[in-house]
Amino acid sequence: MRDKWWFPVVYMFVMTAFFSSIVIGFSQFTSDRVEANEYLAFERAILTVLPDMLDAGDSRLELHRKFIELVGQPDANSGGAFTLARGGRIVAYALPISGQGFWAPIKGVIGIKADRRTITGIAFYEQNETPGLGAQITKIGFTSQFQGKVISSANKPLNIKRPSDVLGISDVHAVTGATQTSTRLEKIINDALKKWLSELSQTNGEGQT
Amino acid sequence: MNNKTDAKKIIIDGLWRNNPVFKQVLGICSTLAVTNLVLNTVVMCVALVFTLSLSAASVSLLRKFTPRNIRMMIETLIIGFYVIIVDLVLKAYWPEMSTNLGPYVGLIITNCIVMGRCEAFGNTNPPGPTFLDGFFNALGYSFILLIIATIRELLGMGTILGYPMPYFSGPYWDKWIIMVAPPGAFFMLGVVTWIFRSIEIRKEQNTK
Repeated sequence: MRDKWWFPVVYMFVMTAFFSSIVIGFSQFTSDRVEANEYLAFERAILTVLPDMLDAGDSRLELHRKFIELVGQPDANSGGAFTLARGGRIVAYALPISGQGFWAPIKGVIGIKADRRTITGIAFYEQNETPGLGAQITKIGFTSQFQGKVISSANKPLNIKRPSDVLGISDVHAVTGATQTSTRLEKIINDALKKWLSELSQTNGEGQT
Repeated sequence: MNNKTDAKKIIIDGLWRNNPVFKQVLGICSTLAVTNLVLNTVVMCVALVFTLSLSAASVSLLRKFTPRNIRMMIETLIIGFYVIIVDLVLKAYWPEMSTNLGPYVGLIITNCIVMGRCEAFGNTNPPGPTFLDGFFNALGYSFILLIIATIRELLGMGTILGYPMPYFSGPYWDKWIIMVAPPGAFFMLGVVTWIFRSIEIRKEQNTK
């Protein structure tokens, strides 16, 4: 049988079917977990940028519970941002941002105080930038710079400047050696902020000073 | 030749005499890509040990049935199968590591060592020795990678496995950013290959 001309074709077909079915079965088995992990990464990012929400020791379950119980879903009044309310008043917004990075899409969340001007933090839950370089944007050394920065009313709400530049109130330093990632990230952040601010000013004027 | 000396030969070949990285210079792409942090390297090495030993053993199991003209397609299929399993396990149970390694897990499929061992050893030997051969070749790859990664992370970031090291994380050590950037991998690989080959040549001369 091994000498027949059709043997290699049938053999390849059978082998492919065999290994593919195992892979399909296994990916079905893990798909729930994979999806849950992806959503959990998103929830973690939201909680990270909202003030005083995340404790370092929080388990995945605790994290999920906090998100469900405390974070308000986006609506027209929040301009598409998730909200954190205390005593009936909004104290902070968490705005999802996304766009093309150097290699793959970057997705993250940016936190803004109720004054709609002061940044409370930034976090990324999906990116595939170069490890050790562009991927440093997820590290605390980069993200902590955003805390307390103020959205500028100029053309660019926030600036990511060269690591040697002097910083103003709306500026942060780029990651050394990751110019491409930094430039693209600046665009992602600014596009999202501008869109958000214009949507807010259309739906309601409150909070504008 | 009996089984015991056979196994010993396979082990020494994989780890040293025929080391995939500094002797055969295979699998260099991933050596350069994942060695900037020790933890990433450890996971990558575990993934390679798993993939290499099992896929070579599977190729060997099927060697009597596989037609010669399509054997490479079958090998790629089997390697791809194990790599996807590793990728899924990481995605489901260690999502942080999965995002850290990014595309590199999937790229194990193209790691020349895996295909090389399937072709050079799995095709002609029974599954037992093939498994052993794959396992120790992967370990030979791993220990070189770990040496490179440790030095790169220490000099570039001042840490090992993310823990700050005395002196290197302090203010007196100006971090060598280039070590964690791609060129640092080339320097380190060159230096490591040089050192290990020199050791080997000296050993050969001594035994003469």
